[in-house]
Amino acid sequence: MTTYLDLLKAKTVDKALDRLNQYWVEDRQLDYFNAATIDEALALLDRHEGARVIAGGVDVVRLLRNRLIAPTALVNIQAIPGLATITEDAVGLKIGTLATLSDIADSPVIKGKYPLLAEAARSAASPAVRNMATIGGNLCQQVNCWYFRMPAITGKTFFCHRKGGPTCFAVDGDNRYHAIFASGKCHAVCQSDLAPALVALDAKIKIASTDGQRVISVEELYTPIGNTLKANELITGIEIPLPAPETKQSFLKFRIRKAIDPAIVSVAAAVTVHDGLITDARIALGGVAPTPYRSLAAEDALKGSMLTAESAQAAAAATVRQAAPLSMNDYKLAIARALVKRAIIG
Amino acid sequence: MKHTLALKVNGQDYEVSIDPWRTLAWVLREEVGMTGVKMACDTGNCGSCTVLIDGKAVKSCIMLALQAAGKEVTTIEGLATAKGLHPLQQAFIDHFAVQCGFCTPGMILKAKAILDENPNPTEEEIREGLSGNLCRCTGYVKIVEAIMVARDQMKAAKTGKK
Repeated sequence: MTTYLDLLKAKTVDKALDRLNQYWVEDRQLDYFNAATIDEALALLDRHEGARVIAGGVDVVRLLRNRLIAPTALVNIQAIPGLATITEDAVGLKIGTLATLSDIADSPVIKGKYPLLAEAARSAASPAVRNMATIGGNLCQQVNCWYFRMPAITGKTFFCHRKGGPTCFAVDGDNRYHAIFASGKCHAVCQSDLAPALVALDAKIKIASTDGQRVISVEELYTPIGNTLKANELITGIEIPLPAPETKQSFLKFRIRKAIDPAIVSVAAAVTVHDGLITDARIALGGVAPTPYRSLAAEDALKGSMLTAESAQAAAAATVRQAAPLSMNDYKLAIARALVKRAIIG
Repeated sequence: MKHTLALKVNGQDYEVSIDPWRTLAWVLREEVGMTGVKMACDTGNCGSCTVLIDGKAVKSCIMLALQAAGKEVTTIEGLATAKGLHPLQQAFIDHFAVQCGFCTPGMILKAKAILDENPNPTEEEIREGLSGNLCRCTGYVKIVEAIMVARDQMKAAKTGKK
């Protein structure tokens, strides 16, 4: 295996960079196809075993370069017409899978009626990345974990649970940014900001393949070690029901720097209040588990009570009651509690 | 397998033969010769590889070159005209917004995207727009000042013409 040291023996910086670039595809044939329609994309995915969809490229290119995926072909869906639209009707909102985070953050309809989603999109990464990143890609992005994502080029590949290995290196390692909710094996965190936002908004994901179409909830897209998409499936869009008129929405994100950084903890809350009484609530967190984490305990604590600082506090306490922090990350409990309370009561 | 890619960079057509896994940043530097595109973090964080695609700022190190097919790419080399430097470039020089210069092409292109989208941004909006571009030597005060000066000059030039 080539290590950094071998690479440094390259005579010039350009040579070293060139070799860095080549490293992840040496000996590998990678095909590339432009799909003009959804049907063509699905046919390509069917025909080429090991093919992978690429849209904005933000996560896929990094995964490729770090040898975390090894597709035989890339199917570019970016030029498929009509997949980047945001349309509103009487029952809710339809967002095409290619709508970018910038499109979502700037959409007047989303800012007006689904403000927590606009805020989640606006908080993600940085402005230029938001111009590239699509909503479908954002939901499919891999988790954040420095063991899982360690580039192969370093010569250190952590063959962890998520990669089919025998252990999770975060358990005995540096786990300060890892999950606080036990999920079985993997302790990486969901770094998508849109995932918890869409869980709070009770959104559905439309998925197509040559076998037909299916619709799932956002929660059903995730398992603790990966997503539930089959190799020949493609997310085509997101559907969000119109929230009840008296629904208070909020998306809060704690991170170390104001931009670029993923969430240490994020909270999306949609709380329906009628004459001071909470009739419905959906609370979802990011950055705390390998999947977006919906807190049914917080929702139960809220439903049927009056919207007060006390009920918000009770929901915040309920959120973390079942948490199982690792050796270095119990500080996340305090952040999660504070954010949940603030997301509910302001 | 090499793919043929037709690219439009700074108004000029290029045809290159590349592997599909090449990033746009690499192809712009090594095949097209636009070395004003910088590669630093190479993971989409630092912003030094920022270019404009159809007028929108993107990070060219996390985009495959083949995905830019048929689109208009603008790099820092495309900003100056026969008449001279772009007002942003001149303002960066006049207001000492450059130290080592490595982040400058990305900064100026992102600044252009900010001003193209909104000709009258506040300082806050400029800072927010630059939030994905990192500078490791001067800090951001001079850069933001230079952009505000360029903003005022470009506004004045526009109203002057009317």
